[in-house]
Amino acid sequence: MSNPAPITARRIEPLFAGAGTRPGLAPEEVALPESAFAVQGPWRVVVLNDPVNSMSYVVLVFRKVFGFAEPRARRHMLEVHEQGRSVVWSGLREQAELYAFALQQWHLTAILESDEAH
Amino acid sequence: MKRIEVKLSLPVVAPLLDLMKASSDVLEAQIAAPITLEDIDADFREEWRAELLGGQQEELHALMGLFNSDFFINGVVAFDEDNAEIIVRACSALRLRLRRHDLRVLEDEQLESGGVDLETLPVALQKPFMCYVFLGTIQELIIQHLDGAILRGPAGDADAGDDGDDGDVDTEDAEEDKN
Repeated sequence: MSNPAPITARRIEPLFAGAGTRPGLAPEEVALPESAFAVQGPWRVVVLNDPVNSMSYVVLVFRKVFGFAEPRARRHMLEVHEQGRSVVWSGLREQAELYAFALQQWHLTAILESDEAH
Repeated sequence: MKRIEVKLSLPVVAPLLDLMKASSDVLEAQIAAPITLEDIDADFREEWRAELLGGQQEELHALMGLFNSDFFINGVVAFDEDNAEIIVRACSALRLRLRRHDLRVLEDEQLESGGVDLETLPVALQKPFMCYVFLGTIQELIIQHLDGAILRGPAGDADAGDDGDDGDVDTEDAEEDKN
């Protein structure tokens, strides 16, 4: 497991500044050096179902946090609703933490999973 | 600035405020959603939890602040791009608390399907359930009318940098979205 820097307001802010203010700007597929994954990941951000938050709320959160377009956000929401979970993002550990934290700030049940566990 | 004003029925809403306040007070010290921090380094967990709690407190203060003395005069609450996001989140926190505490005897399926008849609920559950529905209604109103404002973020964030996506991979989704 990596040893990430402590969460601070400064560390969290870029996530909202970027993903939050630019809807539609979804994470892109980017080639990473193998060494990066070897040290830090890959990790999955998984959202678990809850019976409280409405479908429209969850779609809004996915759009806000990840910048997903609505169809993509809706597809992940339905996956959560119907299958109990959805992998909404995967990549380096530190970024996965930021996303999980952002989802938890919206009161969704988000967890991190190591890809190595699967 | 887009703004919506909602006129609420004081005789209906006022009795719910005590329960909302009591639940809000509990959430001063307790995170509403079930969170798992097992995968987070131990040194790091308390700071993570404290940041979440601080944000939640701010949300709940904003929500309860809507029901001030003016509200008791005119019964109106107002939502705009400045408070839409924080109020939507506060509603989520309170609903989670109500569900896990006051409404814990109800089945998930009942709540998800909306198939709960207020009249047939035990008296002790009626007020929590009304609160739960009321908060959900506020959320839906805001999402319906102000989702654009929430997605854009508060004024001033528009020029913020996009530091979040460097080096991300989302292979599965990236593939499907191309289709």
